[in-house]
Amino acid sequence: MNNYKKLQHNIIVLSFVLVLTMLLSISCSSNANNNKQLKDDTISKVKKTDGVHTDEEHNEDKAIKLTAEEQKEFQIEIKKVKPGIIQDHIDLTGEIIPDPTKLAHMTPRFSGIVKEVKKTIGDKVKKGEIIAIIESNESLVTYKMKSAINGTVIDMHMTIGESVNDNSHSITVANLKTVWGNFSIYQKDLSKIKINQSVLITTMSELYKSNGSISYISPMIDEKTRTASARVLLKNNDGIWKPGMFVTAKVLTMQKNVPMVVSKNALQLVDGHIVVFVREKKGFRAQAITTGLQNGQYVEVISGLHQGQEYISKGAFMLKAEIEKESFGDDHGH
Amino acid sequence: MTTAIDYNVKNMKKIIDFVLKNRLLIVVIGIFIIVGGYFSYQQLPIDAFPDVSPTLVQVFTTTDGLAPEEIEKYITFPVEVAMNGLPNIKNIRSVSNFGLSVVNIYFEDGTDIYFCRQLVNERLQEAREEIPEGFGDPQMGPISTGMGLILFYYLDDQSGKYSLEELRTIQDWLIKYQLQTVPGVTEVLGIGGWEKQFHINMDPNGLLRYNITINEVVEQIKRNNLNVGASFIEKDAEEFIVRSVGLATKIADLENIIIKAEDGVPVYLKHLAKVKIGGAVRRGVQTRNGEKEVVSGMVVKLYGTNSSTVISRVEQKMEEINKILPEDIKLVPYYQQKTLVEAAVNTVTTALWQGILLVVIILMLFMGAIRPSIVVALSIPFSIMFAFIGMRFFNISINLMSFGGLAIAIGMMVDASIVLVENIERIKNEFTTKESLMRIVARAGKEVLRPIFFAIIIIITVFIPLFTLQGVEGKTFKPLAYTISLAMLGSLLFAVVLAPVLSSLIMKKNKNNTKNAQKENWIIRLLLVFYKPMLTFFVKVRMAAVVLAILILCVGAIIFPQLGSEFTPTLQEGTLVLRLSMAPSISLTESTRITMLAEKRLLKIPEITEVITRIGRGEVGAHTDPINSAEIYIILKEQNQWRDDTNQEDLEKIIRKEFGNIPGVLTNFTQPIRMTVDELLEGVRAELAIKLFGDDLEILKKKAEEIAAVIRTVSGAADIQVDQISGKPQLRITVDRHAIARYGINLADVQEVIRTSIGGEIAGQIFEGIRRFNILVRFAPKFRRDLNAIKDILIDSPNGIKVPLSQLAKIEEVVGPRQITREQSQRFISIQCNVEDRDIGSFVKEGQNKIDEKIKLPAGYLVTWGGQFKLQQEANKRFAIVVPVTLLLIFFLLFSSFNSLKNSFLILLNIPLALVGGIVALWLTGQNLSVPASVGFIALFGIALENGMVLVTYFNQLLREGLKIDEVSVKGALLRLRPVLMTAITTALGLIPLLIASGTGSEVQRPLATVVVGGLFTSTILTLLVLPALYKWFAIKVEREIR
Repeated sequence: MNNYKKLQHNIIVLSFVLVLTMLLSISCSSNANNNKQLKDDTISKVKKTDGVHTDEEHNEDKAIKLTAEEQKEFQIEIKKVKPGIIQDHIDLTGEIIPDPTKLAHMTPRFSGIVKEVKKTIGDKVKKGEIIAIIESNESLVTYKMKSAINGTVIDMHMTIGESVNDNSHSITVANLKTVWGNFSIYQKDLSKIKINQSVLITTMSELYKSNGSISYISPMIDEKTRTASARVLLKNNDGIWKPGMFVTAKVLTMQKNVPMVVSKNALQLVDGHIVVFVREKKGFRAQAITTGLQNGQYVEVISGLHQGQEYISKGAFMLKAEIEKESFGDDHGH
Repeated sequence: MTTAIDYNVKNMKKIIDFVLKNRLLIVVIGIFIIVGGYFSYQQLPIDAFPDVSPTLVQVFTTTDGLAPEEIEKYITFPVEVAMNGLPNIKNIRSVSNFGLSVVNIYFEDGTDIYFCRQLVNERLQEAREEIPEGFGDPQMGPISTGMGLILFYYLDDQSGKYSLEELRTIQDWLIKYQLQTVPGVTEVLGIGGWEKQFHINMDPNGLLRYNITINEVVEQIKRNNLNVGASFIEKDAEEFIVRSVGLATKIADLENIIIKAEDGVPVYLKHLAKVKIGGAVRRGVQTRNGEKEVVSGMVVKLYGTNSSTVISRVEQKMEEINKILPEDIKLVPYYQQKTLVEAAVNTVTTALWQGILLVVIILMLFMGAIRPSIVVALSIPFSIMFAFIGMRFFNISINLMSFGGLAIAIGMMVDASIVLVENIERIKNEFTTKESLMRIVARAGKEVLRPIFFAIIIIITVFIPLFTLQGVEGKTFKPLAYTISLAMLGSLLFAVVLAPVLSSLIMKKNKNNTKNAQKENWIIRLLLVFYKPMLTFFVKVRMAAVVLAILILCVGAIIFPQLGSEFTPTLQEGTLVLRLSMAPSISLTESTRITMLAEKRLLKIPEITEVITRIGRGEVGAHTDPINSAEIYIILKEQNQWRDDTNQEDLEKIIRKEFGNIPGVLTNFTQPIRMTVDELLEGVRAELAIKLFGDDLEILKKKAEEIAAVIRTVSGAADIQVDQISGKPQLRITVDRHAIARYGINLADVQEVIRTSIGGEIAGQIFEGIRRFNILVRFAPKFRRDLNAIKDILIDSPNGIKVPLSQLAKIEEVVGPRQITREQSQRFISIQCNVEDRDIGSFVKEGQNKIDEKIKLPAGYLVTWGGQFKLQQEANKRFAIVVPVTLLLIFFLLFSSFNSLKNSFLILLNIPLALVGGIVALWLTGQNLSVPASVGFIALFGIALENGMVLVTYFNQLLREGLKIDEVSVKGALLRLRPVLMTAITTALGLIPLLIASGTGSEVQRPLATVVVGGLFTSTILTLLVLPALYKWFAIKVEREIR
């Protein structure tokens, strides 16, 4: 729109000049200097008045002042840099399987006809307790199928009169006082998962929780799924962990005491540097830091801060934006 | 020459004779014009301001979830390409934002908008074919302009029991369609709250557990939500229509969709996901008073319709809607153009009436008789009605500027008639002849009609440069130039044709002539007491007159440089908007939070009663703002309740001061219409824009910074700014082709899962009656909210293995473009700068040389130099021709009127003196040189000449009658004191209401009025004192010989 100002001047100057020359030539007065001066002034006067933002250098060292009321108004929270523990977790998915060391498969020794079924799936059995009686086809003699361990019948396919002649008619008894959690580990996580790491196991609906630790990691990677498996031994006195149950395991993969931690929210990226806003006498200042370990909430600070320093733990974005304010300017969709 | 003049004179005589012979016919024609004018007036559209929007068709395409780069590639580019080569096309600009592509197709001004839309629509078909399936459908924006947003309202839920989804549903499905039925409304756009959706929040562990992919879920939902028709069957004598009903209507229906059956055990959707009602992804929020979010709507007016009638219809409809809405919900308008239209039209209408009144009073005072005053006063309605007919013909709406033109012209409309009627009066009184009134009228007319004719034609001629104004100024001031010219033409017609007739009909012949003859009006006599000695002094001591003139000129020359300059003064729309710009990387949640903080602060200011804010954009069509931009509508108390008796501008300052600073927020004040129009206008606001065109955003950015650095070294460079094209963080997932090859997964499979699980996929709709709501399937928030969660998203390989995303792709946080702007089908970045203390031409040259020297651009990269300076150069060139030509034209008109170079020069002397008056008046009132002020100067050219012409004509006549030059000067001036003063005073007084008006829009008229009134003052002094004195040197020669 600037141009029109110049135009206006031009119209006026032009007409001035035109008419004044006429006047001068006739009235023989010497007004020429005036005229010239006027014109010169006009040109130098023509300047834009609309400000485009000044291109100020970004200055990370600029202190931003915020009064206590403003901090409250903007919901800015301040914390102190202090030592802390950085933990990290990995979630694994898997299922509950019976403990194979406490599992018994009983198979009919001779093919024959089932004469009697004493127990059914879910029944508790003691070691040596009779589960079924079968008559051998060859000798026509009956023999007993007994439980080899204390446990619960978890699988059997026998009905009276049924002919049993192969392994498909085995009886499985499991001791479910302890069960295994069997989890797949993807390649990317392998390096982080170690034996004896503590684990929190939850069901999908997070109804049940139980603590345990990793007792075994398979030395081989499954060719098909490209995953390794990890095992967690679970006590199951209440019987809540049922084999086949789909569970997730939160593995504590890292835990370290570090001298300085800050909230992850405090970190802002300014001009390619990671900064934290620290409180100083003049106001808040962006302090570049180097970070170490981190998890979802906290970050270890290796350098740039010292213990006890106050920093903005929440609302730091506003201050970052304040620093970058000059650059984002008055752009409006277009 | 003389023959030509004689011919002219004869013509004039002929006209008068003809007119006086056919008095009845003329009166009937006059009545016809007045009636016709009235009917035209009723049909004229009423707006607040002239519409300055460019001729533009916008094409919007929304695609949820796509980043600017993809939008540009898949949507913007095909649309642009399709539009290339359309006739009358001026420019194509586009913006590719997150999820939205906007292509602006600018046509040459004056191209019919429907024609443009038709062209664009045809080509859109081509573009649609080029855009990949599912990437959105380009649509044209509403048939409207920057002035089209006539009413904003929000839904006030007094009970507080309605959720934002419910309110938005009411807006989208009830209010919107009701309002759209109002004639003249082209679109109703909703914003705020949440568009209701049925959210299916998948648990990825559930998917793993049952070995299902998310896309299978989407498919299953689609397949289990249908109604079908199966024609009909005949039963006995009757027909039964067969339909199968299977549409889901509620959450439970969705929950019970069976996704899979394993061993006869069905897996229901509810086992895998939580189904609930939620809100669609949104890019805009509406907040109120820092308390809560509200749902709001914008009514868009159809192009070319009458704002005030559409608004009143909308209001009526809103009342009806309020009746059918649930009891606790009310529609509350918070911005209406109506108030603005009314205020603007009021301002000028009041000025118009006041002007008419003042003019009539002056007439009465000076004429001292009612009858001639009536004749003269009738010129006003006639001219105005004539102008209305013209406005209808030229399609000019009634608005601040066009009506303002009439208000300005009020005093001038009577000038021609004054001169004529005054002359009739004078002759009538002077000569106690037995001549009939008719003869007197004819004689008087023959004496003055010629100069009147030329004077008016000159006034119209001086407006020619205004018609060559371009762009915003052109659109703003052309209506004014049109109406003034039309009204002047009307007044000329009246003076030449109707005034003689009416005079002969209405005016009475004096009964006791002798008495009246000596008796001049008392005011005139009073004035003459002062005027006569001064005049005789100046006529005797001519150098004194010269000195006076030079003195006045010197004053002007001294003051002129002290005037500040500005653009068109900002039209005060009466509604304040405070715009907040926040960091480009900001999230909507954070920008909403900060905006509400700002709202709370504003509410503490006592003048503010209510604030309503639009953040980002709502339904596509009106706004394209990103989410980091918020516009706070400030609703103020009545002006008389403000703390100090200040105006809007000062209040802005107060608010700015009390509002203070919010970290990370830039604020600036604007106004609703201005804001919208600014957005539609193309181009940059700085004097100089260096545009670097090229393909690679990184290179563009780097090179632009280099260019900026070079420009900084050029002396005179100021306010250099490089476009910020980046700044929006991205989470970039780059799929590793080797990794997916190992698992035998296709790229598309991975991307589909990414899209569906994080962004979500629409799996059909839920119908509630005719209202339809999308079903959105995506992961539950917990499983997609951060980098780590996204890394763990599992992808199914063809052999049934599930692989986490991080094993297949590189996921990183990068900073991407905030938006991609393109012009003429190419990406560009602009470097803006202003030039200080230096001629811009040489600056550009030096800059170009330096850039050529120091910066090496890769192939395909191009620098262009543009900006305001280019327009300025073009406009300067135009004016450099138009202004002298106009002056020359005026000179020719003068010359052909007087047939004397000297006379013409003498009259032209008025111009500089008049200009001085205008300058001094501006200076005294503390105003700046602005576009309306220069329009005032242009008008002055014409007005200043008029009186001089009348006077000099009479001098010449007296000279011809054989008087001595000095006698001529004194006698002529004394006799013409009355008409000269009358025309000057009526013109000035007609403008007084505009000078003192404080209503909406007065700030545009005031500089104009100031200049004219000031200029009239000095030019009248010149006409009355200097001109008679100088006449001796400029008098025509011929006369003496005759003598």
